Amino acid sequence: MSTSRSTRIVLYVYGVIVIAFLYLPLVSVGFASVSQARYLSFPIKRYSTKWYGEAMASSTVSELLTTSLSVAVLVTVISVVVAFFGALAFARYHWRFRTTFQKLILLPIFFPQTVLGLALLMWFNSLGIIPTWKTAVVAHLVWIAPIATLIVAIRAYSFDPALEEAARDMGANTVTILREITLPLLMPGLVSAGLFAFLLSWGNFPLSLFTTGADSTLPEWLYAKMVSGYSPLVPTLGVMSVVGSFVLILAAFAVAWLVRVNRDARVAQD
Amino acid sequence: MDSPGLLRLRGVVKRFGNFTALKGIDLDIAEGEFFTIVGPSGSGKSTMIRLLVGMDEVTEGEIWLRDKRIDQTPANLRPTCMVFQSLALFPHMTVGQNIEFPMKIRKEAPAKRRARAEELLDLLRLPRRYYDKRISQCSGGERQRVALARALAFDPEILFFDEPLSALDYRLRKTLEKELKDLHTRTGKTFVYITHSLEEAMVMSDRIAIMKDGQFEQIAVADQIYSAPVSRFVAEFMGEVNLFPLRAGADGRIESPTLSVRPGVALSDLAPGHDGLLMVRPEYLRLADSGGSFDFTLSGVVHGEYALGSRIQYEIKTENGMVTVEKLREERLSAAEGQKVTLGFNAANTHFIGEAA
Repeated sequence: MSTSRSTRIVLYVYGVIVIAFLYLPLVSVGFASVSQARYLSFPIKRYSTKWYGEAMASSTVSELLTTSLSVAVLVTVISVVVAFFGALAFARYHWRFRTTFQKLILLPIFFPQTVLGLALLMWFNSLGIIPTWKTAVVAHLVWIAPIATLIVAIRAYSFDPALEEAARDMGANTVTILREITLPLLMPGLVSAGLFAFLLSWGNFPLSLFTTGADSTLPEWLYAKMVSGYSPLVPTLGVMSVVGSFVLILAAFAVAWLVRVNRDARVAQD
Repeated sequence: MDSPGLLRLRGVVKRFGNFTALKGIDLDIAEGEFFTIVGPSGSGKSTMIRLLVGMDEVTEGEIWLRDKRIDQTPANLRPTCMVFQSLALFPHMTVGQNIEFPMKIRKEAPAKRRARAEELLDLLRLPRRYYDKRISQCSGGERQRVALARALAFDPEILFFDEPLSALDYRLRKTLEKELKDLHTRTGKTFVYITHSLEEAMVMSDRIAIMKDGQFEQIAVADQIYSAPVSRFVAEFMGEVNLFPLRAGADGRIESPTLSVRPGVALSDLAPGHDGLLMVRPEYLRLADSGGSFDFTLSGVVHGEYALGSRIQYEIKTENGMVTVEKLREERLSAAEGQKVTLGFNAANTHFIGEAA
């Protein structure tokens, strides 16, 4: 179907507005991070990368990054493992209360995160656990593991269980089937689940706020600084965080691409 | 049994909760046989094959392969292999890797695997360059051949087939039916095949078992099942058929509410005082108007004419329902639609089914 000229113009304009709406705030943060002034004001009088230098040198920043990274990496690893087995349990086995359990598991996603965070904090307190970044890992998992499971489950549902049966029929035992069939086929799902888990944990503020105790993650610190004692380190770290996430996604694509190239090369060689 | 079969089932029962899917199956399949189980969906044939390959457990009964009882042996330790309905080719592997999979599991050397895979490609008439192809690059028929090659690479004692041709178009199916039969001859393996298609079963099989409600209705060679079915179910399942109720009086005289019977006609299976169904296939009905003498005759009106390719099918409306007649194209009836006709057939071309109508 061909669209008329006026329709096309409307569509272009709409597209540009959407992109502007999404990216202007980010771009302004970018500008703010390269302003030499202590306080944010437009237009920027003098540009400087001095805040990037300070961020790199700051021990607070490296501590924040270490905490955020520790939380996100642990959450990613645990979510992916839980999601793998959870998705298989949903897609491969029929058990009593399966669908009920499936819905219950997904429920935390619909909880307002601040409420969930507070509830978890109270729960930790009543158990006598002192909140640190490790309790934040647990809190993040309550919210993120179900999402990761959902992502892997979509993949698990879409592959034919006969593939595993066929492998067994040809003499493969459970471990071999897992290694040769199930894992390779679920891999795209596992990679996206891991990516989502990392990004959701890395950027999470409401759950961390309640459950990190004396430790602080990057989003928490950014918030604290915005509320009291703004410094251009805020937009600087914001930009660095976004760039970091972006690099991670690119890296994931690169790995996926390398795996494919490598596999094709191996096939060609065989 | 004087010559025990390669595969023997004794009193095999499979229950799912309150539902009994298989009701005490006894079966002997000989080595090298092409044995087909035919039945409508829900007849228990899929359950049966899952028990035979070890993907489900029997509730009662025994399965023997040669002199070993295998009903408790898990699928991966049984020397049998199945070609799945979905083919179950591994999408993340190439054609070659798929074929080599069972040999890789057996930890055979790569060079040996490769050599065997190429032999199998030749056997299945696939070009050797297909070794490096992805499964997604293969057509339906090629995938079928890859699945067969992979199953043969396993070198099974028995090769099971779970309706592998059902998803293919007509022409390809016909070609592959013949190829399968040919492959069976060339490999000398025992093939056990399940399908809901009578035609498929007739083309390929040495023996056919007709399954209904978790039991075998009849096990026989294709020709016998077609011409001498033991029940109305088998008769109707095996293609178009005309069935007429019959009764033999105390004096042996045959009486029929629908047919005119020539005096003196006798049916060996019909004892005096008994009744049943007389079966005649549509190709044995003739026009009786132009003379000739027939053991049985009936009249009706030509109701419809349908082209079936090489044959033409007619529906003749009689007082007691439709009768189906089939003729080769060059022998088409000289009767137009709406014309009154008399049809006749002889006892030699009938089969008597001794059950109440």
